[in-house]
Amino acid sequence: MSASRREFLKWSAIGGAALVLPLPSPVREKTDAASSPFAPNQWLRIGSDGKVTLVIARSEMGQGVRTCLAMILAEELEAAWSSISIEQASPGPLYEDMNTGGSDSVESSWMLLRRAAAAAREMLITAAATEWNVKPADCRAENGSVIHAPSGRHLSYAKVARAASALPVPKEPALKDPKDFRLIGTRVRRIDGPDIVTGRGRYGLDTRPSDVLFAALERCPVAGGKLRRFDASKAKAVPGVVQVAEVPSGVAVVARDSYAALSGRDALKVEWDEGANASLSTAELLRRLDAASKGAPHVSRREGDVERALARAATRVSGTWRDAFQAHASIEPQNACARVSSGSCEIWAPTQSPQRVQKEAAKLLGIAPEGVTVHVTLIGGGFGRRLGADYATEAVEVARAVGRPVQVVWSRADDFLHDRLHPAGRADLEAGLDASGRIVAWKHRFTSFHLSMFGPFNPNADEPDVDPWGGYDNPYAVPNLTVEWIAVESPIHTGAWRSVEYPANVFARECLLDEIAHRTSRDPVDLRRELLVGEFPFASRKVDRGRLRAVVELAAAKSGWGTPLPARPARRVGRGIACNVYHGRTALAHVAEVSVGEKGDIRVHRIVTAADCGQVVNPLGLEGQVESGVAWGLSYALKGEVTIERGRVVQANYRDFPVLGIAEMPRVEVHTIAGPARPTGFGEQPVPPVAPAVANAIFAATGRRVYRLPIRPEDLAG
Amino acid sequence: MAKFRLTVNGRSREVDAEPDTPLLWVLRDRLALTGTKFGCGVGVCGACTVLQDGKDVRSCQVPVSQASAHAYTTIEGLSPNGRHPCQLAWIDEDVAQCGYCQPGMILQAAALLAAKPRPDDADIDEAFAGHVCRCGTWQRVRRAVHTAARLGGAK
Repeated sequence: MSASRREFLKWSAIGGAALVLPLPSPVREKTDAASSPFAPNQWLRIGSDGKVTLVIARSEMGQGVRTCLAMILAEELEAAWSSISIEQASPGPLYEDMNTGGSDSVESSWMLLRRAAAAAREMLITAAATEWNVKPADCRAENGSVIHAPSGRHLSYAKVARAASALPVPKEPALKDPKDFRLIGTRVRRIDGPDIVTGRGRYGLDTRPSDVLFAALERCPVAGGKLRRFDASKAKAVPGVVQVAEVPSGVAVVARDSYAALSGRDALKVEWDEGANASLSTAELLRRLDAASKGAPHVSRREGDVERALARAATRVSGTWRDAFQAHASIEPQNACARVSSGSCEIWAPTQSPQRVQKEAAKLLGIAPEGVTVHVTLIGGGFGRRLGADYATEAVEVARAVGRPVQVVWSRADDFLHDRLHPAGRADLEAGLDASGRIVAWKHRFTSFHLSMFGPFNPNADEPDVDPWGGYDNPYAVPNLTVEWIAVESPIHTGAWRSVEYPANVFARECLLDEIAHRTSRDPVDLRRELLVGEFPFASRKVDRGRLRAVVELAAAKSGWGTPLPARPARRVGRGIACNVYHGRTALAHVAEVSVGEKGDIRVHRIVTAADCGQVVNPLGLEGQVESGVAWGLSYALKGEVTIERGRVVQANYRDFPVLGIAEMPRVEVHTIAGPARPTGFGEQPVPPVAPAVANAIFAATGRRVYRLPIRPEDLAG
Repeated sequence: MAKFRLTVNGRSREVDAEPDTPLLWVLRDRLALTGTKFGCGVGVCGACTVLQDGKDVRSCQVPVSQASAHAYTTIEGLSPNGRHPCQLAWIDEDVAQCGYCQPGMILQAAALLAAKPRPDDADIDEAFAGHVCRCGTWQRVRRAVHTAARLGGAK
């Protein structure tokens, strides 16, 4: 998958900074619209200098969205890549949906930005044709200029921008034929790469006005607790501390710099009424989960009669697969900066959900949402955590109390203690086989805690038709199938976590299928191929199983499936496969090569990935997302977990919540299949099949089934 | 508060700070050098890595009172124009995802190459063992260090 040097030279000519060029920053602060005479819509402007400004309404958190959206725009606009600058949108009437989640940014922006750019291109062509007094049909656009083909004349966008701005905006502009794409589908490096490697990239913690004060908060360590009393005398004695303020979120120590704020906060004496959850533990949470799993479920999907088919089955195979509470642990801790004035508020935040931040801040202040300006910064890792707004509204609380702009800084321990955790879940699956080994029944029940980030528990507000992810969209052809799910009220803070419910359910589903294959002496790839014929229902439409079948076959072929693995001294080796379709769109399979030592220590040596996400916008970025998803999935499968004692998160740092390090990173190889002519999401999609591919490889190596994540060496010793 | 004279990116700077203030926060909050990142505060994530007399240190573990005796280089001072071989290699290999931990890693790479101009994968793994990257950019980090070595990153 690696780009050869030759390839690098080829694509460096198209996009990104080459070795010999200086490294300008492509990221602009808000520019004066007057310097951009041509602004046909809210997405782009062209200046009299020919510079194209693309407004990005999604948050960049490492998924490369700024680069992908800029590529889409530049392609359809026929702009020179080097002329593109990007500007981050703030919530307002021009931007309908600014949420960055669900791996949706590229997919939902695809037609929107193409139409916006195509309209601009047609206007520029018409303006040039008018200037030359020729037919627009005889003109075309290329590399930031309009060209009159018969005469060979050129006019740059800079020169026609002003004239174009006087023209009507076409409602149905003609889009480029994908076969004419010159940028989309090529390997383009991150547009903000130069900023990142020079330290100019501004994340939340780096973004604050000059008259800012800094604050650290003591929040109740137990969800639902209340402040009883506090003693600020020692905190106030810390040099640099200017004020201690009680706010709805806790007690804020406000200081002249971050360190004084954090030190002052550590010197606070606070007494909490910890409330009903004060003695909560992981064991108690799992007891509640297990008890709930026996209750009445929502039925998400029902085909045939699964109970009858199970009763008649010659063989039944079942299991309970569990995963653990997980932290996001992005390297940039939560933070936000706010300034509150009478009737207005300004917020700087690394947020995936700027409109939610705007709305909740407005509600807190009792002002109109339009009075709240939200500046979205670069995000030092989002992974779903920053779909919440808590970190931003508390900054508003403190700024209001202090009457000065305040940046709230979270310590690493704060970030663990007040995370919105991925909740532990259990998946109870049972399959029935007939005498010939054919799967005739499949029952999938998922029980997990509700995600409090999105509101209080409401047992009637669930959406059983699209839950549980990884269960309701089971891709396999089985005549009798029931998918059920049970949500349990969460007494701790929970939230979205890269691919949400998929990892737990895909782990269970793909491991059960592997077990059936081995029990019936069939190859796990062959069994999947047999079961991936026809279509499966997804909401109101049907999904072609053939797309998943094709990626399973490709991953198998590229991995050398069926050929012997090289022996490793004193280690047992094995290969495993798992696959998934994410919400009826992107199809993806991983083959994992694993070895297990005598003490049960697991090494993942190689992951071979095949994916069909339709039109690949940027293969270089896509490969990065696979590498990233593999690392995320391996941390989930093999590394840390969050535990709860006395109502609190126990883990406080990367020492007690380890994530995958450089020495544990396997070789990742990525292969794609050209699918439908539009892109589908890719940020989360590589995560879910990682754990089951590894678990199935562990079985191939050791003959032991894995039912619990993260996998512990003691389960595999000997 | 006390006055400390620091050498950062070749410039002499005087700061007022409490003696126990970590260099990290002096760089970020007093000198506005925000390229040095706060990740963990206890020296286990590597995001705050800077060069101290050419060697990597965790700036969250250096009290400002002990900083006067050394010369520091932050990501802003690694090169005058963003073209240090490690920076170029990081762009070449498109390493960064969220990018937050990358300035610390680039300085780690510079320190590694200064000590070992042609590191192998095991050397790289050892040098980066003290870094955390939640985006999992490791495959590209390894490649970028090799690329930087070829570009003369040891200089």
